[in-house]
Amino acid sequence: MAAAQLELRQVTKRFGGVAALDGVSFSVPPGQIFGIIGPNGAGKTTLLNCISGVYRLDGGDVLWQGASIAGRAPHRVAALGIGRTFQVVKPFASMTVRENAAVGALFGSAEAHLPPRQAFERADEVLELVGLAGKAALPVTALTIPDRKRLEVARAVATRPRLLLLDEVMAGLNPVEVDEALEMVRAVHATGVTIVLIEHVMRVIVGVCDRALVLHYGRVLAEGEPRTVLKDRRVIEAYLGERYARQQGG
Amino acid sequence: MLRAAFTTKPTEGGRRWRRLFLLLGGVVLLYGLLAPLTSLDALQSAGFPLLADKLWFRIATATAMFVVLASAWNLVGGLTGYAAFGNVAFFGIGAYTCGMLISRAHWPLFLALPLAPLASAAFAALVGVPLLRLRGHYFAVASLGVGVAVGEVIQNVEYRGTPVFGGSTGLFLPIFSVDNRDLVFYFLMVGAAALTIGVTWLVLRSRFGYGLIAIRENEEAAAVMGVNTTAYKVAAFALAAALTGLAGGIFAQWNVFINQENVFPIEYNVQMILMALVGGAGTLFGPLAGAVFLYMLIQFLSGSLPVSLDLPFLPSDARPVLAQVILGLLLLVTVIFVPRGVIDFFGGQSRLSLAYLRRSLRETSV
Repeated sequence: MAAAQLELRQVTKRFGGVAALDGVSFSVPPGQIFGIIGPNGAGKTTLLNCISGVYRLDGGDVLWQGASIAGRAPHRVAALGIGRTFQVVKPFASMTVRENAAVGALFGSAEAHLPPRQAFERADEVLELVGLAGKAALPVTALTIPDRKRLEVARAVATRPRLLLLDEVMAGLNPVEVDEALEMVRAVHATGVTIVLIEHVMRVIVGVCDRALVLHYGRVLAEGEPRTVLKDRRVIEAYLGERYARQQGG
Repeated sequence: MLRAAFTTKPTEGGRRWRRLFLLLGGVVLLYGLLAPLTSLDALQSAGFPLLADKLWFRIATATAMFVVLASAWNLVGGLTGYAAFGNVAFFGIGAYTCGMLISRAHWPLFLALPLAPLASAAFAALVGVPLLRLRGHYFAVASLGVGVAVGEVIQNVEYRGTPVFGGSTGLFLPIFSVDNRDLVFYFLMVGAAALTIGVTWLVLRSRFGYGLIAIRENEEAAAVMGVNTTAYKVAAFALAAALTGLAGGIFAQWNVFINQENVFPIEYNVQMILMALVGGAGTLFGPLAGAVFLYMLIQFLSGSLPVSLDLPFLPSDARPVLAQVILGLLLLVTVIFVPRGVIDFFGGQSRLSLAYLRRSLRETSV
């Protein structure tokens, strides 16, 4: 097996008495698209926060290319080449679309760190990649929700990550927009970025993921090839519920 | 929401305003730099008319001082979005650093002056680390606390019964003996103002500036994109402190006498913030415009200008009160109707119109 790019070992995070994550372990080899699914409150976003340094772990370890990165501040995690998006978009509201992306290029992974002029060129490339090139000069407040999600991805991609953590970039999008977003994810992946993707939309997991993991009450319920995982009886019961079970049956 | 001025493409109308504004600014600047020179002995004996008397020198120097204070505050309050209410502490520390070195250690002014910003910046870095962990109102109140506390400590700290920093009597500095003192201090303060604007200009074009604005807009997003938020905030705070401290240092020698009252006045905090807001916080020239306009207004209202308003129903001792009332009203109107500052009309994206005011009102109402 290829050496893991990202590895989690028994990661635990508690809020008061509640264990949001309880001994979560998995590993992602370079170049993969790794999907994480789970019902609301399963701990998916908490997991991303633990990887990106927003939260401190209560137990376990996060390894990046074999070395522990647990407890590092978010900006130091970003400097390693781990980019992320937020489920609730957090654009820099006073800036234009282009400037938002440029901030990613100005900071981010240590080798990216471009001076302002090149950062704006990089921003233009990235906006092209996510399909926002035509809206570069607009203030972010003029963007629709799907476009804001794209911008969220653009900013993260501009940091030149080697691993990109996407937090529900397709939630709330209609089927056509999901297809466009899928294309965007594939385009980003094609530039050589490993992707960890949190999603609610089944089609996404089956459509683009090489591997999927199901999180339930902070524990790993199942892990494996997406189609196999989604047919797992426990997964159908715990997460997908009766309706999906009926669909599977019918 | 504040807008980063350096980034906006002005509209056609805005561009016309900007051109007019820059031209006017250039003329005023040229006059401001050249007119005082007519007080030089050489020019006087050559028969030049004196364009600036002592009072105007004083007013112009003080205006430049407020340009420094408002523009320096802008680095923290405008760019980084942390409403610092205690910047006067850095002014006082700068003044006392200069005061102590000159009056007690008998250092020459130009050796003591560089240490004023250093002392203020060091203090800001020290208190900035815990203070800047706070956000919003908490930061504002805590910074105000620091602003008040520093002045009290400096006035009251004693060693074996004698006040270390001159106590409530304050410090008297030996008069800086040089020809054309007014001119020297005027140019020193204008130099400090130019330095502050120049520093802001550089910051706005740098990675540092983008990082600060990113922090203002969304600190968490900035952090995961690789901005070292703590270091950036403390650096901005220390930079603002250094510039404010420089103004304090110049003030100490210019005024010859310093005490808690004249270098730690709480109202300076409010005034510098108001100046930055009225002009346009987060912009390059907003705080400058706000400082010039508001300082003149304050002086005019309190009757310190040679031209003053004489209202029959207004006793002269009520003027400072009137000044306060008008400043309060101005703050209200600015925050509600012109949240981006008046500089927004001069080369910004907007034009002053009834629609603009209505839109602002909608944006700022809850």
